[in-house]
Amino acid sequence: MERSRAGSETLMLKFIVRRLLTTFPLVLIVVSLTWGLIRLAPGNFYTSEKRLPPAIEQNLRVKYGLDKPWYVQYGRMIANTARGDFGTSLKYEGQSVNMILWRAFPVSAIVGLMAYTLSLLVGITSGLFAAVRHNSKWDYTSMTFSMVGISVPTFVLGPIFVLLFSLTLYWFPPARWDGFATRSAVLPVLTLSVIYMAYIARLTRSGMLEVLRSDYIRTARAKGLSETAVVLRHAFRGGIIPVVSLTGPALAGLITGTVVVERIFVLPGLGTYFLNANLNRDEPLILGIVAFISITILICNLIVDIVYAVIDPRIRY
Amino acid sequence: MRLSFASVNFGAVKSAATLLMLGLALQGCVAGQADSGYFGKTDPPRGQTMRYISGPEPQSLDPQIGTGLVEARIYMALYEGLVIYDPKTMGPYPGIADKWDINSDFTQFTFHLRPTARFSDGNPITSEDFVWSLRRGLNPKLAAEYAYIAYPILNAEGYNSGGSFVRNKATGQFELDPATHARRFVPADAKPEPGKEYVLIRPEDVGAEALDPLTVRYTLTQSAPYFLGMMAHQFFMVVPRKAIEKYGNSDWIHPKNIVTSGPFHLTEAVPYDRIVAVRDPMYWDAANVRLQEIRFYPAEDTTTMMNLYKAGAVDALENHCVPLPWNDFIRPLKDYMDAPEEGNFYVQINTTRPPMNDIRVRKAFSLSIDREVLAKFRRVAKPLNVFIPGGIYPGYPTVKGDSFDPKRAKELLAEAGFRDAAGNFDPAKFPIEKVEYTYNNADPWRQVAELLQSQWKQNLGITVPIKNMETRTFFTSRNKLEYQGLSRSGWFGDYMDPYTFLSLFQTPTGNNGTGWWEKSYSDKLDDANRTRDPMERFRKMAEAEQQLLDSGAVIPIWVTSTDWVKKPYVKGMYPNPGSIFAWKFVYIEHDRTKWNDPEPAAKP
Repeated sequence: MERSRAGSETLMLKFIVRRLLTTFPLVLIVVSLTWGLIRLAPGNFYTSEKRLPPAIEQNLRVKYGLDKPWYVQYGRMIANTARGDFGTSLKYEGQSVNMILWRAFPVSAIVGLMAYTLSLLVGITSGLFAAVRHNSKWDYTSMTFSMVGISVPTFVLGPIFVLLFSLTLYWFPPARWDGFATRSAVLPVLTLSVIYMAYIARLTRSGMLEVLRSDYIRTARAKGLSETAVVLRHAFRGGIIPVVSLTGPALAGLITGTVVVERIFVLPGLGTYFLNANLNRDEPLILGIVAFISITILICNLIVDIVYAVIDPRIRY
Repeated sequence: MRLSFASVNFGAVKSAATLLMLGLALQGCVAGQADSGYFGKTDPPRGQTMRYISGPEPQSLDPQIGTGLVEARIYMALYEGLVIYDPKTMGPYPGIADKWDINSDFTQFTFHLRPTARFSDGNPITSEDFVWSLRRGLNPKLAAEYAYIAYPILNAEGYNSGGSFVRNKATGQFELDPATHARRFVPADAKPEPGKEYVLIRPEDVGAEALDPLTVRYTLTQSAPYFLGMMAHQFFMVVPRKAIEKYGNSDWIHPKNIVTSGPFHLTEAVPYDRIVAVRDPMYWDAANVRLQEIRFYPAEDTTTMMNLYKAGAVDALENHCVPLPWNDFIRPLKDYMDAPEEGNFYVQINTTRPPMNDIRVRKAFSLSIDREVLAKFRRVAKPLNVFIPGGIYPGYPTVKGDSFDPKRAKELLAEAGFRDAAGNFDPAKFPIEKVEYTYNNADPWRQVAELLQSQWKQNLGITVPIKNMETRTFFTSRNKLEYQGLSRSGWFGDYMDPYTFLSLFQTPTGNNGTGWWEKSYSDKLDDANRTRDPMERFRKMAEAEQQLLDSGAVIPIWVTSTDWVKKPYVKGMYPNPGSIFAWKFVYIEHDRTKWNDPEPAAKP
C-alpha cells in the first residue's frame, strides 16, 4: 500500500515535469504560426486611410527593424520570445509588451476568477439540488434558467444588465473599471458568469445523476448511510468530474480576458488589448498575448489533470 | 471559447446589440428626458472637473507621434503651439504667439512669442524651443508619421527623408529645383552621379530660425497661404527639449517625467482607463482657465459611451458617438451637437482600366446615384455632389457637381458603346466582370455598399458586385490601385483650408488613388496658392475643383457631420468642424438658470 502510493507520486511528478517541458516548444510553435499569419496579412501597423509618403514609411521600417530580411526578423523574434521579452508595442509608442501584460492581466484575471467562483457556487449548488430532487419543480426551474443562460450570448446579456441595473435602477455604473472590490465589478462579473453557471449546473446535474445510479452508491445506501453523506461524501466527487474538465479551458479563457465583456464594460484587460492589437497589426503585442494565453491554457489544463487524480481514485498517471 | 468570441464579426455584434438596446431603452429614455429636453441625468460633477470620452486608446502622449483626432483632443489640453484651433471655426487662433507677420508671397511666416509662455516645469518657452521641436519631429530616427505635414517648410522633406543636396564638383554650386528654386535633394539611397557630390542635409538646413528669443521665422519652399492654419496641428506643438534629452524619445511621456506646454498638465495616464490633466498654474493664460481637471476616458463602443453619458458618468462624448438607430431619438434633444465636418465620403474610380478609363462611363456612375437616399439612410450626413464640404470655408464658391439624372447616365453609357441595335443603352453589353465596388468591412460602409449597389441596379440595370475587405488590407490594396472599378474613399482635412482636399490629386501618387492626374490641375492649385487675395485664391481653387469633378475620377456622396452630445452644464464647447476643443475655454456651469443661455463667445 505504502509503496504503491509513493510510486504513484513519483509518476505524477514525472508527468508534471514532462508536461511543463513540452510547454516551451509548443509556445514557440504557436508564436511562429501567429507570426507567419500576421506577415501574410496585407497592410501594416501604419496603414490607414491616409497613405504615408514613402520616405516616412521607410523611416518607420528602419525604426522597427522591418527593413531587415524576414529570416533575420523571425530569428530576432524567436530569440526574444525565448527570453520572454516581446519588445515594445508598435501602436502604443514606448509601452513594452511585458508591461502591458503585467498591467492588463490582473484586471482580466480578477474579473475571470470572480466570475468563475460565482459560477461554481451557483452552478454546482443548483445542479446538485436538481440531481437530488430529480424531476421536481426545483429541477425544472433551474434547468430552464440554465437553458436560457446558455442560449443568451454575453453581447445581449451585458446590455440587458446595463439597462436594468445601471440605466433604470441606477445601482451600478454602466461601464468602466474602478477596481475589484467596487460596484463597477458587479455587472461584468455577472454577465461573464451567467453562461458558466448554466453550463456548470447542467454538467453537475448530469454527472450527479449518472453517479447516483452507480453500484457503489447503491452499496453506500445499502450500508445505511444518510442521504446527505451519500450525496456529499460519495457521489459528489465523481459527479463533478465533468465540471473539472470544463474548468481547464474555461478558466484559461476567462482569466486571459474576454473580448466582448471587456469591450462592453470598457475594462482595461487583456481581451481589449488582444482585439485592438489585431486590428492595429501590432505584431509584438499580438505575439506577447498569444504566448501568454498559450502558457495559461497549458498550465490550466495541467492543473485540471492533477485535480482529476486527486478527486477521482480511478485516475492515475 | 475565447477565440471563437474574438472571431465574431464585431459589426454584426454591435448592430445587434445596438438594436436590442434601442428597443429596450426607449421607455427609459423617455422618462429621462421628458422634463428637461436632455438625455439622462443632468447633475453636474462637483467643482470644475470635466469627464470626456475621448474614443480609442491614444497612440502616445507625444504630440509629434500621435496622428489622430483622438490624440489631438488630448494634446489640446497638454500642449500648445504658436497658434491653436479657434474653438468655433478651427481657424488659426493666437496660442504661444500673440502676433505674426506673413511676407507678400506666403513663403515666410514670422511669429512673435508671448514673453510669459512657460513649460509646466517653469522654464520659459522661447523661439529656440520651437526650432528644436520642429527639428526633432523631422528627425528620420523619430519616424514621426505626420512629419509630412511640415514638408512645405524649406528642406524639411529632404531632412526627414535622410536625403542629400547635390553639389556640382566643378563649380561648387548646389543644384536647384527648377520649379521651386530651392536646393534639389536626392533620397538617401540615390546612386552617385558623375561630377556631383552629395551633401547630407542637416537639421540646421530646415527652414526654421530663431531670430531672437521671442521671434521665430519659418521659410517655405513655395507659397502656402494655408500654412498659418496648419501651424495649429499637433505636430507643431512645442515639446520640452530638456525632458526629452534626459529621458529619451519614448520615456519622457511617463507621468513622472513629462513636461508640458499647454493649459493643463498630466497627472495620471493609465492605458485603456484614464488620462487625467489638471490646470497648470505655469500656463501663460492660467488666470482664464476655468476647468480644474479634465479626465479623458477611452471607450470604443458607441452604445457603451451613450450608457455612460445617460447615467451621468461622463459629461461629453467624442464625435460620431450616437449609434445610428438612436439618432432619431437623440437628435431633437438639447444635448445633440450637429455641424458640418471637415470630412467627406466619396467613391473613387480606378481610371486606368477599361471600362472606367472612359470618362462617359465614370460620369454615368455618378449621375445614377440619388445622394438624398444615401444621406437619408446615414441621417447625420448631408448629400454632397462637389468635393469640398460646404459651409465650413466662408467665401468658398460652389462649383457645379453631378445631380441625379439616370436618363443622361444611360445616354452616356450608350454613347460609350454599350448599346443595342436601336442605339439604346443595353446593360447586358456592359462588361460588369471588370467592375466591382470595394470597401472596408466596417459600419456603415457595408450598408452603404448595398445602397450604392441598389442605386446602380435601379437606375442603370447594372448589378455591380460588392467586395468587402478587412480595413488594413483594404487600404493597402486601394493604395496600390489594385481595385477594379470603384472603391470607397473619404478624407478628413489636416488643416482648415480647401487645399487639404484638393491637394490629394495634385500628384499622381500619394493619396490620389485614382490614376487620374493632369498637370493643368496642379498648376491651377499652385497659382491659387500664390494669390494674395483670399477670395481670389478661393475662386482659383474652385476652378481646379471643377476640373476634378469634370474628370469623373471621384464621385462625392456626402459630407459628414459632428454628431456628438454634451450635458447642459458644459459650456464653451462648440460643434466645430474637427471636434477639437480648446479646453481652456470650457467650464462647468453650476447655475441651472444659465444652462439654456446662448453659448458665450470665445474671448479674442
